[in-house]
Amino acid sequence: MKKIIFTLLAFVISFATVSAQKGIDFNHIYAAGGKLQMFIDSAAKNVHYSMVHPNLPNTFFNYMPDVNNISIRINFRKNIKVSNFRYTILVDEKPVLVNQPINEKKLEDTHADGDEEVFSSTSLGTFPVKGKVITVLVYSLEKPQDIDKSVFYGKSVPKAEIKGFSKLFKIEKGFDYSWVKEPKERTNFTFSNNDLELTLIKDRSDIDYVYTTTIRSKQTDEIVFESTTWQYGGAVEEHHFLPFLNIDKNIFKKSGDYEIIIQPYSKWKISAKDREASTVRHTLSITLEEENYTKRELLLFGVATPFTLCLVLLLVTYLIKRKNKKKLVEQEKQTNIAKLQLNSIRSQLNPHFLFNALSGIQNLMNKNEIDNANKYLSKFARLTRNVLDDKELISLAQEKALLDDYLQMEQLRFGFNYEINAVENLDLDNIEIPSMLLQPFVENAVKHGTSQKAVDGQIIISFNKQANDLVLTVSDNGNGFDTNIKYNGLGLQLSDGRIALLNSIYKENRFILEKQSSSKGTYISLTLTDWL
Amino acid sequence: MKAILIDDEISNLENLRALLEKHCPQVNILATAQNVADAVNAIEKHLPDLIFLDIQMGEQTGFDVLNLLPKRNFEVIFVTAYDQYGIQAVKFAALDYLLKPVDIDELKTAVSKVDRKLAAQSQNSQLDFLLQQLKRPEAATSKIALPMQSEIRYIALSEIIRCEADNTYTFFFLANNERFLVSKSLKEYADLLKPNGFLRTHQSHLVNPKFVKSWLKEDGGILLLTSGEKIPISKPNKEMVKQALQQL
Repeated sequence: MKKIIFTLLAFVISFATVSAQKGIDFNHIYAAGGKLQMFIDSAAKNVHYSMVHPNLPNTFFNYMPDVNNISIRINFRKNIKVSNFRYTILVDEKPVLVNQPINEKKLEDTHADGDEEVFSSTSLGTFPVKGKVITVLVYSLEKPQDIDKSVFYGKSVPKAEIKGFSKLFKIEKGFDYSWVKEPKERTNFTFSNNDLELTLIKDRSDIDYVYTTTIRSKQTDEIVFESTTWQYGGAVEEHHFLPFLNIDKNIFKKSGDYEIIIQPYSKWKISAKDREASTVRHTLSITLEEENYTKRELLLFGVATPFTLCLVLLLVTYLIKRKNKKKLVEQEKQTNIAKLQLNSIRSQLNPHFLFNALSGIQNLMNKNEIDNANKYLSKFARLTRNVLDDKELISLAQEKALLDDYLQMEQLRFGFNYEINAVENLDLDNIEIPSMLLQPFVENAVKHGTSQKAVDGQIIISFNKQANDLVLTVSDNGNGFDTNIKYNGLGLQLSDGRIALLNSIYKENRFILEKQSSSKGTYISLTLTDWL
Repeated sequence: MKAILIDDEISNLENLRALLEKHCPQVNILATAQNVADAVNAIEKHLPDLIFLDIQMGEQTGFDVLNLLPKRNFEVIFVTAYDQYGIQAVKFAALDYLLKPVDIDELKTAVSKVDRKLAAQSQNSQLDFLLQQLKRPEAATSKIALPMQSEIRYIALSEIIRCEADNTYTFFFLANNERFLVSKSLKEYADLLKPNGFLRTHQSHLVNPKFVKSWLKEDGGILLLTSGEKIPISKPNKEMVKQALQQL
């Protein structure tokens, strides 16, 4: 095998020598990194030599896509022990000479392209470089790790390939990744608070270091990210680490399109056309769940916008206030109207009752029942006073007393039985209800319910408690009425209106009226929700 | 007990006399009067224990009778038909009054109360208080008479933090941390003190708005008082309390 290689090398060298002899002048001399110099035909163009990359101090890149042949020389200072040096030459990654000592016999003194100093110099050979990559490694046995590597790149730099993206995000315990493999021209990402960074994975090549990655905002045309350094150690392909880059989420200040550009090292002064030929572009469509803002935007949003907003808010508040005030006044007006209407309804004690009651008292006087006449007169006065007093609220105890007064007076006329019951845990003295609330229903019970039944008639009034609701009921054993027909009786008609009015005044509570009526009697319940 | 009846209408005098004779025989009616001057003369002449005093007497009032007397060593039961004037002051002074037509039971109760007062021989300071109250413009009352078991206390309204119902009794809580029970329902004091700005926040609570510190939103509404006490606001009263506090 070695034999073949040596034979091949010998062939290459001899071929190169032949080419040199065919009129190639090798008149252009360039530093090729380390101790090397390269000689190129004076007609050659587009030569970039001895380029150093930021993170590879001992690697020198010579880019010459349009050059056919190069001759490589090595120069030693006079104080250097040449016998310690070894060199290796690879063509397209294949070693053609390995750990070769310098042929000291061939050393000659030169000024190495016009330098004052005199160097010991020899040729390492002449090589066809077009379409090839020639790599020369030079090191001293004293420092075998200090290898000077010169690459002679005789073709255009291939486009990098993006193998994939991964997104790092926080989870409840620790971190996790999500992957996008073999992306097409555009990749969409949404960043939330839990997302940390984006990783770009490039295909593996022997010249990863020449690739510079930049990310440009398509909106603002700003470069938001630039890196000349690739990391290894994450993704693996066929037992080789793939180069990758970590991109902090925070470089994406705003949602929108960003362009990833991977191109040969930006300091290379190659033509735009050549550069573009070696450049890969990929679009990232970024959506931020929470938008970031620049200082100017913040200033705009932070100062100008709040100021404007404040102004608008003030204006709106003022307008709303004015409207609310108007509304409030309107509401108050409505409530007042409701209250007035309520008052006028309340004031209508049935005149029929009034005068019949008076005639009942007259009857007692004529029968010389002085004490009874006094008793009923006082009751009559209390009822009338209550109507005239026009109080919005009375206590349950007062309501009970008034109903008692009223029923006693009616009892005098018709002779039915009645009960007024209140459950024990009701604080009758202190719980207030709108006055004359039950009066119309009781009046109705007397009039339509029991007046025909005389002594067999029965009216039961109860004050009950159900959770926080106050439930007032009136039941009788009279002949009933059809609850579906709007009853002409003044009392009930007024009551429906009153309950609607009460509901419009007491917005926190509901007044619920239920009527059940059959030929066996009538049951009315009035629930005051959340009243207690 | 010696009594004088004062009313400008003869029928009312006759009526009251008939009821007293029948139902309150311990009352000895020495005289009746139908105008202020006659009333003053009769009182000075007879030195009664009790007078029944009509409030509205033509152009004059029963209060004029009291004002014209330098010494008022008697009890008064006011009698009025339907007359808001003065009734408020009478209530503030915790004095008794009857409404016409006179209810027999109420009459009996009022007379027996006077009986007890005479037995205790306490000074009748309530009349002085009443007459002072009447000199003030309407609703500018600054004090209220609170009947205790053995005395009448006159409490400045600005000293009352709040009242709390205890069935038919009412607890008063004062700014000086005093607390006492009065034998009238909270409803009565609420009716009396509402015109002076007191707020009925709840069936069991009456609050002086001057002592309200803030409205707490917890449990649907609670008033925090400067005393640190928390007073509930019941739903039916919420709107009213809110409006009242906004106007402060």
